[in-house]
Amino acid sequence: MTGPAATERRDRATRVFDSMGTVVSLTAGAADGILDEAAAAVEGTFAGYDRRFSLYRPDSELSRIAARELSLAAAGPKVREMYALAMHWQLEANGVFTPVRTDGVLDLSGVVKAAAIRDAGEVLLGLGLTDWCLNAGGDVLTHGGPGPGAAWRAGIVDPADRGALLADVTLGPGRQALATSGSSERGAHIWSPAGAEPLAQVSVLAADIVTADVLATAVLAGGVPLLEEAVRRWPVQVLAVRPDGSLLGTPGWKRP
Amino acid sequence: MRLRTLTLALAASAGIVAAGWQAGAAHEVAVARAGSGGTVPASGDGAGSSAAPSGSYQGQTVQTRYGPVQVQVTVSDGKITDVAALQLPQNDGHSARISSAVEPMLRSEVLSAQSADIQTISGATYTSEAYASSLQSALDNTR
Repeated sequence: MTGPAATERRDRATRVFDSMGTVVSLTAGAADGILDEAAAAVEGTFAGYDRRFSLYRPDSELSRIAARELSLAAAGPKVREMYALAMHWQLEANGVFTPVRTDGVLDLSGVVKAAAIRDAGEVLLGLGLTDWCLNAGGDVLTHGGPGPGAAWRAGIVDPADRGALLADVTLGPGRQALATSGSSERGAHIWSPAGAEPLAQVSVLAADIVTADVLATAVLAGGVPLLEEAVRRWPVQVLAVRPDGSLLGTPGWKRP
Repeated sequence: MRLRTLTLALAASAGIVAAGWQAGAAHEVAVARAGSGGTVPASGDGAGSSAAPSGSYQGQTVQTRYGPVQVQVTVSDGKITDVAALQLPQNDGHSARISSAVEPMLRSEVLSAQSADIQTISGATYTSEAYASSLQSALDNTR
């Protein structure tokens, strides 16, 4: 009789594919039999978003909007839905989060990856898969657990040493989604208010991946004031790394 | 006239004390200023004894949305030399939750002994190229 960890590990399987400039990993029970079908469906969901929203594809709807060949009003419903989602979060996060780049180009990448993860999760549930862990470029959405009675556990990368972990955390009901933003990937979709204490990395645990991802990005840009506000306004747990390596967190981070 | 000047100073000081007490929720607690504007009960030992007052003055208790706030101002020759909090809403459950909502943590607190048994890694978004050298890649390759 081997230990439970070894047994669990043998029973799990992972499928990995490239999308949106990063790598997506889907882990589920190896005995489920439909893992390949599920991975293909998830890949299809991500590919659909990438086709419409990638600014690296000249023929994407967003590239055509940037080139003024297409108006937002004439764009497809998915593009308008993502625009509405981005605008919603711009208002919610006090303008720290914005879908418009400084050069005026509409860039919805701040919500698109999270929306793809969210939709992929729905696809997996639709296929009848209830125990899975989906990781897209470091943003995580889970359902169920890795084995009977077990909960998915995630490690948080140390921003000062990306080969090391600085924390681990248990995911579960109400905290199924985990996203991390770091100063190394500050993009055009975030804007830092003057005077805010900067943060080196922000991880957010939430019930849904869009909230987790957007708030991780917004708090990274908005610093400690937005961290305090986010914790007051949303049922999320946060672990933030300051530039000197010290940590700020919510008490619930440690206790599920 | 002297009394009104003191009242204004006291009301402003309530905001300052609250701001210093809880930086994170300062803008919430500072509503103490708006609701005050009350009188200054002259409990100080030197109140009214000379043209330039000296002594300690207790401000009116002000109800904020997080609970009562009351400050004491020490005045010397008409100048405020000290402001102390007599009452702050720290016993209120909501306030306590706010003040401890974000707290300093140690790595040893958040990295548990079971950390070897993790199934996934969260970090700032890696590129397809960077994935190869990531912890997630190492984890994926063990399965």
